[in-house]
This record gives sequence, structure tokens and C-alpha cells, in this order.
Amino acid sequence: MTDRQTQPILSLRGISKSFGGVRALSDVSIDLTPGKVVALVGDNGAGKSTLVKTMSGVLRPDRGQYFFEGREVHPAGPAAVAEMGVQTVYQDLALCNNLDAVQNLFLGRELTGPWYSAGRIRRAEAERRARDVLRRLRLDGISLTRNVGAMSGGQRQNIAIARSILWEPKVVLLDEPTAALSHSAAAQVGDLVRELASHGLAVLVISHDIHHFVLDNTDVIEVLRLGRNAGRFDSKAVTGEQVVNAMVGGDAAVNAAG
Amino acid sequence: MTTQTVDTPTPTATPRRSLSERLGNELRLLPVALGLLALWLFFATQSDVFLTSRNINNLLVQSTVTGIIALGLVFVLLVGEIDLSVAATSGISAVLMAKGVVDFGLPVPLAIALGIGLGVLIGAASGRWVTLIGVPSFVVTLGVGLVLNGGQLLMLPNTGRYNLLDTGVETLAGTFVSGPLAWVLVMFGIAGMLVLKLADLRERRAQGLDAPLMGTVIVPVGGVALGLAAVTLFLDQQRGLPMPLILFAVLLGVMSYVAGQTRFGLYLYAIGANAEAARRAGVKVDRIKITAFAIAGGLAAFGGILAASRILGVSVSSGGGVGGGALLLESIAAAVIGGVSLFGGRGRVIGALFGALIIATVSNGLNLMGVANEARLIVTGLLLVFAVSIDRGIERLAGPG
Ligand SMILES: Nc1ncnc2c1ncn2[C@@H]1O[C@H](COP(=O)(O)OP(=O)(O)O)[C@@H](O)[C@H]1O
Ligand SMILES: [Mg+2]
Repeated sequence: MTDRQTQPILSLRGISKSFGGVRALSDVSIDLTPGKVVALVGDNGAGKSTLVKTMSGVLRPDRGQYFFEGREVHPAGPAAVAEMGVQTVYQDLALCNNLDAVQNLFLGRELTGPWYSAGRIRRAEAERRARDVLRRLRLDGISLTRNVGAMSGGQRQNIAIARSILWEPKVVLLDEPTAALSHSAAAQVGDLVRELASHGLAVLVISHDIHHFVLDNTDVIEVLRLGRNAGRFDSKAVTGEQVVNAMVGGDAAVNAAG
Repeated sequence: MTTQTVDTPTPTATPRRSLSERLGNELRLLPVALGLLALWLFFATQSDVFLTSRNINNLLVQSTVTGIIALGLVFVLLVGEIDLSVAATSGISAVLMAKGVVDFGLPVPLAIALGIGLGVLIGAASGRWVTLIGVPSFVVTLGVGLVLNGGQLLMLPNTGRYNLLDTGVETLAGTFVSGPLAWVLVMFGIAGMLVLKLADLRERRAQGLDAPLMGTVIVPVGGVALGLAAVTLFLDQQRGLPMPLILFAVLLGVMSYVAGQTRFGLYLYAIGANAEAARRAGVKVDRIKITAFAIAGGLAAFGGILAASRILGVSVSSGGGVGGGALLLESIAAAVIGGVSLFGGRGRVIGALFGALIIATVSNGLNLMGVANEARLIVTGLLLVFAVSIDRGIERLAGPG
């Protein structure tokens, strides 16, 4: 058990990716471990989204290896990666504002009645399952029957994350879940992220919010700079300043120190 | 992640919601229902004839053709598209049906089926074109409408008219169901609704969800039962329930189920709100849209056939004449007044009934008051703008809070 938990479930090794002449990633490695939250930080253009898209199968790297549960895999695309148990929540959330939480959680996977019902949705069962999932994630504050368009940004973000959990994945990748949120809403998302890890999921979060989100809610901080690994820190044993220095590079670090 | 069900029947938090949010959802039809009531009260004070059984019968029958076409339009509007060819579709389909009966001696049911089939095909073809090429639907269907107007003229004989008197088609609109049979029909409808609501209730209780008998069964079923009983009592004083009204009611019931209870219906709303999100969730967006257009075409055809049966013939002016005329505008207005958003994703099927009733009421009431046609158009136009403005206002207030 402990052995399993300390083994990474998803590892990228020596990943490089270019777009035309632009080198987005150079020889990047990263590990995601069950029960741990990894923060992926870096300046704009550092390659964070490109790395997440590589993990989610949207992009294929030019070089490098992808290991899942200890074996090297060559994912064919996003569907294959999702099938393995890796879910991604993108920044735009992909929610329907005119539907409620239950309908959004089950969108595309509705439970329906027999053929003669012409596809009648088994609402009660979906609602019960949605309620259970939200409770398990300590999201009882979210109304099941209210349109998500009328909800706060933090609640919407959490519904999008909860939706990825319905597939019972092993890994969850979150691209900037707190970018558009207030501090209190970001704190709600932080609670959820830690809750996911406590259930044994491996979580990766891209965030710019070092002081109010990353330090409090993650275990490991992975820094990217100009498409390269630029430091790995234990969130509990690092200051915000050290992380920022690693993000912006040597000169700034010297300036900050001196 | 272990599953541990907590066995309290309380739902997760239901925060108090603002009136504007509720008006945007379950109370969406409240303004239009109150408006309708106000109009009826107003006309009742202006004309002794307005609230007679005979006049209410006329008013209700007047609303059915517009209402059925609007009902189909709701499906297209929900996915964020529009079909400006519905009136023309109703015209050409009615002409095809008439031609089949008069020129080819087809049995009436077969001719009607052919007409509806043509409408479905036209709708599906428009939908295919819109989804395939990505041309805005208002342009595609505007063009389709004109093409159909031309086709309608070509299909009519030199006299410009097919007479449907004594062909059997007239019984479709001319039949009345009265007495015990009318009540059996009403009971049937209520029982159907009751069965569905009780099934919901049973399923919710089986899942340990709260399901108050009062709110989920008694109030909605009782409301519909009272409405149907009142209409039946009232109309039974004269000739009974007119067939167009019965058909409209059945279509409303079936289509409310389709849009409100089925997966297809949910996808209409999802696409209307966020087509990209629906696509990513695995929804076959194009297929749903094409089906919506096909439904609109089929119902438009049926509306046209009903109109032909009522006026005992088809002519160049079937389907509202060239461009769709008042029939097209009033059908769109009915859906929109009934709370269906032109921007997709919002509104309910039953709105088509309320919208069509408002339009028929204005027309009927002003007519009884001896007001000229010009004034009728002006009032209907103002009502439309007013209704849409109220709707937008509510939607804005009900946004993220
Ligand atoms: N599809 C693309 N085509 C061309 N260049 C791209 C593409 N995606 C990303 N890039 C480039 O790759 C670099 C890394 O981008 P990205 O991964 O989005 O950074 P981040 O998410 O850290 O801000 C940037 O220079 C960006 O311009
Ligand atoms: Mg990015």
C-alpha cells in the first residue's frame, strides 16, 4: 500500500515539443503520485499548458517517454488517455449555464429508461449519485437543482472538477482552475483539490497564485522556465519568494537576493 | 474512493433563490400567463360576446395553427437556430396533401402522411445544410422559404386553388368531440400525466431523495386537470371539443415530454447554451440540430394541413403567401412571447400555447371591439417587443450571483 502510494502513477521523461520554430518544451520531466497534489508554475509561455496537453493526449511530444502505472505508453489521443484514467479540466470549464449541477455532471452520460420511454432520463438516480459524489467531495454547499449559470465562479469550477471525478479517474489535471476566481473562491477550489488527493488521486494544478493557493494546497511545486524544468520544491519547506525566483530566473534571483 | 451513502432524505443545500432567478426558470411563464389573464379580463369588459362558449371555441381554434407551427419552432430556437421557412413549409405541404387527394385520389390519411413527410424532409434538409456548411440558419431558411413558395405555385393548378370540400379532409378540423367521449379523452390525458409524475415520485423516493407529493404531483397534475376540465365544461355548452384543439393539446403533451424528460430534449438545451461543451461531452450536435429542424418542418406541415382542412382548400395564400407573411411572423412571435429565447437554450414547449393564445386573443378581442386590422397588427407588434424585453431583463437579473 505505502509502496504503491510512493510510486509515481504518471511520469513524463525528457519531453520536448516544438511548434514550428518555437521550442515550447525542452527535455522536461515530471512525476505525479497518488495522494499528492503537484503545482505546475511558471511565467506565461513557460510551457505549462503544452505539458498538460501532452499528458492529456491532446499533443504528441517530439521526443520523450510517457509512463503510466510503471509501463511506457504511447497514447493515441485524448480519448485513450481518458480511458486510462486521466481526466483533464480545462479553463473554460465547458459547462451549460442553463442546466443544473446534476445535468452538467452527467452531460453526455445520461442514465436513460427503456426504449419505449424514448430516452427518458432517470433523473432520480442521477440526482442521488450526484449528491453522493458532491458529499464525498465535501461540496454539500452546491445546489443540485439550481442552474449553474446562477452560481459563483468557485462553485462552477468545483462542478467542472466533480464532473471529471464521476469517471473515477486516477489522475486529474487542472489547467488554471483559480485564474478567474476571488481569493475565497480559490480557497474553495483548494479545499476540493486536497480532498481529491485524500481520496488517493494524483492531482496536477496549474496556478499563478503562489501565495494564496499553491503554498497552502499543494505538496510539490514543479517550476517551468522557458520550456525547461527550473526547480522542484516541497511546498511545505519553501517560501513564495524562492518559487518566484525560480520562475523568473537567475538574474532576478540574484537581484532579489542582493 | 469508497461509496458511503448518507441516508438523510434532505437534498444538498438549496439556498434561497431570488425572484428573478425563479422567474428565469420555473416561473418563466408567470408574466405571460398574467398577461393573458389581463387581456381576457379586459376583453370581457369590452364585449359581451367575448366570454361566450362559441367565441372561446373560435379563439382557441384560431390559436391552433399558429400554435402548432410555433411548437415546432421551439425546438429549433432551443438549439440557437431559427427556421424562417416554417410558414412556406406549411403551405407547400398542405398543397401536396390536397394535390394527392384531388388529383390522384389518394386516401386522406396517406395524403396527410405524405404532406407531413415532405415537411420533415424539408426541415431535415435545411438542418443538414446549416450544420454542414455553417451558413447562418436565418439565411438558409429564408432562401428555402422562397424556394418553397415557388414550388407551391408550380404545384397548384391553373385556377390557383384546390377545393377540399367533400373530400374527407374537412373532417380533420371540422369534427367535434362532445359529451362523455370528451371527458374520456380528458381523463386519458390527465391519467397519462399522473402516471409519469407518480413514476418520478416513486423513483425519487426509492433513491432517498425528497419528493413532496404536493409539489411534485398534486399541484402540477391538479393544475392541468382543472384547466382541461374548465375548457371542456365550457366548450361542451356548445359543440364540444374541436378536433384542432385536441390535436394541439396532444402534441403539446408529447412534445413537452420529449423536450423536458428525454435525453434528446436535454441535448437541445445543452446545445443552445454551449454547443462546444455539448460536443466535448459526446453529444452529436449536428444530428440533434437536424432532428430539431425536422420536427419543426413536420409540425409546420401538420399546421398547414390543419389550416387547409379548416378553410376547405389550399391556394397561393396557403402558408401565409409569399415570404410567409403574417403566419410566419405570428408563429415566431408566439414562441418568443411564450418565453422561448431567440438566443437558444431557454424556454419551454408549453410557451407555444401561451404565445399563440395571446396572439389569438388580441386578434379575436380587438375584432369583437370593432377595431381595425391596422390596430391589431400594432398591438401584436408592441406585445412582442414588450414580452421579449421583459424576458431579457429577467435573464440579465438571473445571471451569475
Ligand atoms: N498551438 C501552438 N502553436 C504555436 N505555438 C504554441 C502553441 N501552443 C503553445 N505555443 C507556444 O509555446 C510556448 C508555451 O506555451 P504554453 O504551453 O501555452 O505556455 P503557458 O501555459 O505556460 O503560458 C509559448 O511560446 C507559446 O506561444
Ligand atoms: Mg497556459
